[in-house]
Order: sequence, then structure tokens, then C-alpha cells
Amino acid sequence: MTASKLIGALFAATILTAPAFAQGYPERQITMVVPFAAGGPTDTVARLVAERMSEDLGQQIVVENVGGAGGTLGAGRVAKAEADGYTVLLHHIGMATSATLYRNLAYDTLNAFDYVGLVTEVPMVVTARQDFEPADFPAFVEYVKANADSLTLANAGIGAASHLCGMLLMQALEAPLVTVPYKGTGPAMTDLLGGQVDIMCDQTTNTTQQIKGGTIKAYAVTTPERLDLFPDLPTAAESGFEAMQFGIWHGIYTPKGTPPEVNQRLSESLQKALADEGVTKAMADLGTAPSPAADATPEALKAKLEAEIARWKPVIEAAGVYAD
Amino acid sequence: MSTKPKDDTDIAAGLLLMAAAGFFGWQSLGLEMGTSIRMGPGYFPMVLSGLLFILGAVILFKAFGRPDDEPFGRIAWRGILFILPAPIFFGLTVRGLGFVPALFITTLIASQASVRMRPLAALVLAVAVTVLATLVFSYGLGLPFRRFGPWLPL
Amino acid sequence: MDLLSNLALGFGVASSLANLAFCLIGVLLGTLIGVLPGIGATATIAMLLPITFQLEPVSSLIMLAGIYYGAQYGGSTTAILINMPGESSSAVTAIDGYQMARKGRAGTALAVAAIGSFFAGSVATFLVAIFAPPLTAIALEFGAAEYFSLMVMGLVMSVALAHGSVLKALAMVVLGLLLGMVGTDVYTGAPRFTLGMTQFADGLNFVAVAVGVFGIAEILRNLEDEHDREVMTRNITRLFPTRDEFRQMVGPVLRGTGVGSVLGILPGGGAILAAFASYTVEKKLSKHPEEFGKGALAGVAGPESANNAGAQTSFIPLLTLGIPANPVMALMIGAMIIQGIVPGPNVVSEQPELFWGIIASMWIGNLMLVVLNLPLIGLWVKLLTVPYYVLFPIIMAMCSIGVYSVNSNPYDLFAVAFFGLLGYVMSKLRCEPAPLLLGFVLGPLLEENLRRAMILSRGDPTTFVTRPISAGLLVLSLAILVLVFLPQIRKRRDEVFTESDA
Repeated sequence: MTASKLIGALFAATILTAPAFAQGYPERQITMVVPFAAGGPTDTVARLVAERMSEDLGQQIVVENVGGAGGTLGAGRVAKAEADGYTVLLHHIGMATSATLYRNLAYDTLNAFDYVGLVTEVPMVVTARQDFEPADFPAFVEYVKANADSLTLANAGIGAASHLCGMLLMQALEAPLVTVPYKGTGPAMTDLLGGQVDIMCDQTTNTTQQIKGGTIKAYAVTTPERLDLFPDLPTAAESGFEAMQFGIWHGIYTPKGTPPEVNQRLSESLQKALADEGVTKAMADLGTAPSPAADATPEALKAKLEAEIARWKPVIEAAGVYAD
Repeated sequence: MSTKPKDDTDIAAGLLLMAAAGFFGWQSLGLEMGTSIRMGPGYFPMVLSGLLFILGAVILFKAFGRPDDEPFGRIAWRGILFILPAPIFFGLTVRGLGFVPALFITTLIASQASVRMRPLAALVLAVAVTVLATLVFSYGLGLPFRRFGPWLPL
Repeated sequence: MDLLSNLALGFGVASSLANLAFCLIGVLLGTLIGVLPGIGATATIAMLLPITFQLEPVSSLIMLAGIYYGAQYGGSTTAILINMPGESSSAVTAIDGYQMARKGRAGTALAVAAIGSFFAGSVATFLVAIFAPPLTAIALEFGAAEYFSLMVMGLVMSVALAHGSVLKALAMVVLGLLLGMVGTDVYTGAPRFTLGMTQFADGLNFVAVAVGVFGIAEILRNLEDEHDREVMTRNITRLFPTRDEFRQMVGPVLRGTGVGSVLGILPGGGAILAAFASYTVEKKLSKHPEEFGKGALAGVAGPESANNAGAQTSFIPLLTLGIPANPVMALMIGAMIIQGIVPGPNVVSEQPELFWGIIASMWIGNLMLVVLNLPLIGLWVKLLTVPYYVLFPIIMAMCSIGVYSVNSNPYDLFAVAFFGLLGYVMSKLRCEPAPLLLGFVLGPLLEENLRRAMILSRGDPTTFVTRPISAGLLVLSLAILVLVFLPQIRKRRDEVFTESDA
């Protein structure tokens, strides 16, 4: 709006063709691509950290929502963007699962990106309709195993957090439930609230308020430890289901070939943002917590992505579902 | 004129609908049909394609023996030639050229659709639209569009 | 009384100077952006969302709600003036609103829309205040079978949207349904009709389709013969409705409000039907159904009221369940979360100021909207005096920006061009765009719920008639069908008899 901004923009435009140098980075506005619609949980996480990171970097990070095809369109765009640190991607676990779910991706997940760091890992909760009979998680396991073919399991579409968690649940319990896919969490949750479906396993982001309000029943969390948010809820691992440990982790990526100093600078900025009280508080409201500083690093994210691709490949292939 | 009256418009409409039904039906062939208990992705579209084909055929059939009371009229060839490419051009260039030049040229292309538009007026209009839109959307609302893209050797 | 003290609390919050100001800014911005062609409520909110992040939670939500009504109203304005609906609900307004504008009654149409919206908004606001919790319980009774039956009812109604050949209208609905199938199948992940383009994996963009078949087709029609194009502005008689016209709009507005309030509550597709349903009701009840599609006042008053009432009551599932009824509500949830409020069943009890403040601000927002817009009508109508060859390049520029801004997907713009051509060809073949658009909106919902109902019932098709609400809706659909076709059958029989007499 101001003259200085205009000059800034013109200046930025003039250096676009020059090779990116890390000295003085960032010199202009950074675009953070979120491969999902505005207002969704991933978008929320992105906007939270983007705001704090902007303060630290001294340049505005603008969130651009490039939704579609389970996040692969947005990721594909960043993969092809200039590796100058001015286009970054914030994506969740879908980055790893889409490598298997989509058999003809436009990019090579492991070789198209550089890494900035992990942002947060949102826990999952196994929930059921309000009047579901079992009283606790062991009873739930018994009941579900005994009635597998008459119980329904909702998910928010292929590749969604609830779909991944549902696959894990069915494999862990060896119970092939009747899966009922929905288009998004909203309608799936509505049907769970209305008792039209029996079970759903979804992120705390989507379930916390409903559990606290007593409109759905929670059985277990998928974290290694119990959550502060629900101290009474056992972990699935406590009942011996170690394989059911997982969360929706979010990471920030840059296109392959971005100068390491730039990734490092972004990573430092991310760590500062995650240490911010406001961010911690906002994430706590969503039932999650910022990743520790040690995880908000390029190395940690790279290791996570590789491990998760390897982990989900057999699960998805066993279920035999593909999104293309 | 032919001896028997026929409604040319409806003949065209019927044929076009049948062609559309054919396209969707053909595409549905590659999809799993499933059973009525667990319907596959091809089930519903196949049923609809069939229905559309029948409707198209009935429209075609009823067109014979009835005069066309509202014939085709003129076709806006110039409009088609300039209006339709405008959004396509914007889509192709907004990232490469950037918001400002892409919008400017888009407006310029669209303005050529009218025979009444003089070249100078078109230029003035395109400049005005671009300036206002840039102020409102880019500066005012902060939409994440790059004003000048990487294709420009600025 | 609880309600009164709650409302008092709400109005106390909403009428603070700052909140009034934010409400005003929201309504104003929403109207201004929403009135740009091809930019409907969803695009407007997506664009303006970040502006609200800096504000206090209550203020930000009040402003967002204001943007929502403003954008919706703005969308209706463009639908009436240039046949360019930016949202499914204003697609119905475009049918008769644009015809009124062509006959020089643009001012009347806009005034009717504003007044109808205000009335419906006020009533629905109080419905939200009084009945939010019990209504939510009803909405939860709606499972897949009920939604399927509801969509069937919507399709049956679509026949009434046609003012020409019923057969062609049916064909358009089916074509729309098929176009709605484009994209990834929810159940198996199989891509359908995308021709290998992942950019269409999430289906065709509604705004792209609507702008194409309505707006661009209309521009092309106007360019056919530029020399003797009808000049709209020449014969504008007056801006405001006459006493007689006021009398005519009472019934449609009341019925529209009722229809809209009820359907708006249903999360996932109910509100979409509101405007279409109201149009059908009005056409059926009218003494002059032949006027519909040619500029019937009731065809604007009813759907506009229904659409605004539905917009209000669609806040019910959002506020009481935390579940978005439409994409706009999904954006609101995002805004709430960023503000540290996680929407859910507890918002009412934990944050009464917020809950009742928003409800009160809804009414204030609607009041501001009508106060702002009645004087603006003159200005909007003046817009029509701009020579068309100046107007349409601006329209093309704005709708390019609007369509692109939603998802940053260039393929949406290619879709605009394709549907512009399709819309033009259709209009040449005397096929109407409204039934196509209804089919397009309902298609995915219809199929999804049919398949889901079959899965949930373990393949038992009687589920549609054994569940009472579903059965009721199907009976209603049948009744509508009979009502629509009976006169035609009777007429045909009369014709047959007269022929045999001769």
C-alpha cells in the first residue's frame, strides 16, 4: 500500500532472474504453499507458524492455498518452483503416504525437495458414537473383534488422517470393519454424532471439542504417552497395540537445490516460532504441541519422511487402495 | 425448404446430448461397475449416461414433424474468438508473467471482442482495470499473486 | 426469561462501538468484493479471511459474518444486473432477476431482493436464537438415506425451473449430474472423466461452471448483433417497488423464509436446495406460472429470502456442533481456530458472549445491509448505463481473478472458457442453464448418499422407505411430481379429445 512496499516489489522483480543468494535472505515476501483449502486444520497450522516466522525473518510469509488431489497438486507446484527459498511448502503426513497412494505422481517425493523441519505432530483418538457399548479400550477391542462385519468405520476420504488411522486400527485388531468414506471430516463427524456410523479414528483437532462435550465416546490415543489433554485416555500401546502409534506430522519443505544456508535460516526461524507462547497456546487448544527444537531441523524432517514412506507403503498396499 | 417441417434446433440438441451421453458412457466403461450393494465408481455414471442418451433420442425424435419456431440466428464468432481465450490466457500466464501484465493483456484480449471498441479506448480501459485491480487485490487484500513473474527480464 | 437475557447479552456485545464498526466494515467489504462478477461468497471470504486474523475473536467473527451476508447480497446483485451468479443460490435469482433487469425493472428486482433478504434474515436470526439446540437434534437424524431422498426431492423440483421444454430441462439436469461426477470417486479413489488431468481430481469448480454457462454465455449472446442490442437503461421506470409490488412479494417472502430456514439447518447440502425449492413453490402457487423465467417478481423475492434465511440457519450446525454446512462455514471454522476457539458443542456454554454476540450481530449486519443497499440501488442501476463494450472486458478481468483466487488452479480458468462455450451452444439450442447447475450441485451428493445408504443398510434398498424421514421426503417428491405433471397430462388429454372431435 505504501510507496516503500511498491519500491520493494519493483526491486524484488528486478532481482528475480538473478541467482538466489543466501546473504541477506530473505529480501522479499515468501510464499508458503499449503496444499489444502483455506480454513482447514493444515491451513491453520501454516498460518500460525507463518505469522511468527514472518516476524523473525523480517519479511512477510504469505500463505497460498493450492488445494487438490490430496495435496499432491500443491506439492507438485513447489517441486517445480525456483529453489531460491521464496517458495516453501507446508505439508502433513500425506507427503509420505501419497508416495504410495498415488501411482503416477508428477514429482519424486524423496528427490524433489529439501527440508526445513518438523512443525507439529497431531495425535489421533479412537472414537465411537455416544451410545457405543464398550466401556473402555480393552472392551472396545473385544467387542470390535467379535462384531467386525456389522460395525461401520467412517473416514474422511482416501488418504485422510481418519483413513490412515482406520487402516492401522483394522490391521492391529485384525478386524475388517465396513468402511464408509465421506468427503471431508465435517460430514463424517456429523454422522458419528448422529449415530449413523459406529467408529472413527481422527485427529484431536477434529475430535477434542466433541469428546469434551460428551457427544462422542473416546477410547484411546495413538501417542507414545498419554495426553495432558485427556489424562484418563489410555494409549493404544498400553493395550499392546504398539503398531498403532502415529500422528499427523507436519513439515516444511523447499524445492530441491535450495541453498543450505536458506534452509538453515528458515529452520532457525521455525524453531523460534515453535517456542513462541502464543503458538504453543494455540496448538494446545487444537490438542497438539509444537515439535521440539531438535525436530524442527532439516535432518529430522528428512529422516521422518523416509521412515514414514517405508512404514506406510506396506500398510497401503495391503489395504489395496489407491487414490489415482 | 424441405417438404416436411423439422425443428433443426432440437435435432442439433438431441444429437449433441446423445454425443455427450456417448462420451460419458464410453468413459464409464473403464470404471468398475460394482454391485448395487457396493456400487463401483462406474455404476451411477453409466445409469445416467443411459438416461441422457434416451432423453437425447426422444428430443431428436420429437423434432421431426414440427417447425422450428425460433431458428438459430447469428453466431457471435468474434465474441467466441476473443472472449473465450481471455481467461485461458490469464490462467496460462498469471504465474509466469505475473498478475499485472497477465491481467493487462487479458483485458486487452477480451476488449477486442466488440467491433465498437477503438484501439486507444481498449488500451486506456486495460490500464485502468489493471491499476485498480492491482491496488484492490494485490495491495489492498494482499492476495498471494506475484505482481511481476519470473518470465520478465526486468 | 433466558432467551431475553441471552439476547440482551448478545446485543450488548454486538453493539459496542468497535464491533458495530467491524460489522459495518465487513458488510461493506463483502458487498463491494461480492458484487464483482464471478466472485461469490466463498471467494470473497477466502480473500478477506486474513484481514480478520488481527482482531479480537468476537470482532473477527462478527466481521466475517458481515462479509458473508455482504458477499451473498453482492452476488445477487451481479446475478440480477449481468446474469453472473457467483454462488449456487444466486443462480436461481439470476433466472428471473436478470429478466426483470432486461425489462428495465432492475431497481425493483434489487429492492425486492434486499427487502426479502432482510426480512428472512431477521426471522431466521430469531429462529437460530430460540431453536438452535432442538433443531440440531433434528439435523442429526439425517443420515445417508434421508439425504438421498432430500436430493431426489430437489431433482424433482428442478423440472419446475424450466420455462421451456420439460424434456430438455430433464436432459440438462442429467448432464449436470454427470458433470458433477467429474473428479476422484470418494469411495475408491478412481479418477472419473478427468481425461488424465489431476487438476480436475477434486471436480470442476462450481464458480467456473456457473460463470461459464450463465455469464459468459450471456456476454456472447449480447455480442451476436451489437447494432440493435436492446438497451436496458432506456426504459428504467423507477427504482423502488410500488405498493402493488409490495403486496405481491409478501407471500413469496414468507414462504421463502420458511423453506430456507428449514433447509439451512441440514449440514451438507440442505442450504443449497433452499433457493431452488422456493422457486419451485412459487411457480407452483403462482396464478401466472408462465411469467416465471420472464421476469416474475415472486421468482426473485422467494428464492432471495430462502437463500438468506438458509444462510442464517446454516450457522446452527456450525455453532452447536462445530460442523460446517458449506465451504463458507468451513472457512469460518478455520477463522475460529486461529482465534483460539475450537467450535463445538461447548461454545454456547463456555463462551456465551461469543455465541450470542454473533447471533445479535447477524441481525445488525442484515439491518446494515438493507440500509446500505437501498440507497446503493441507484448506483448499481447506473452501472447498466456503462456501454456494454466497456463493461464486458471488465467482467472478464474480474471473473478471471475471482475464479483463480479460490484455488490458484489455472485449469479452473480453462473450465470457465469451456463452460462459456457450452453455455453459449446450449442457449443457441434453447437449453436452460439453471437445471444443469442444479444437477451439477446435487450430482455428487446424490451419488454419495445413495452409495453410503446402501453400504450402511448392507445392501437393503428398503432403507429408503423404512426410515420415516426418508419415506416422508419420497412421498413428498411423488406428490410434487404429480402436481407438476397432472396439468400437462390433463391438457394433453383435452387436446386428444378435441382432435378426435374434429
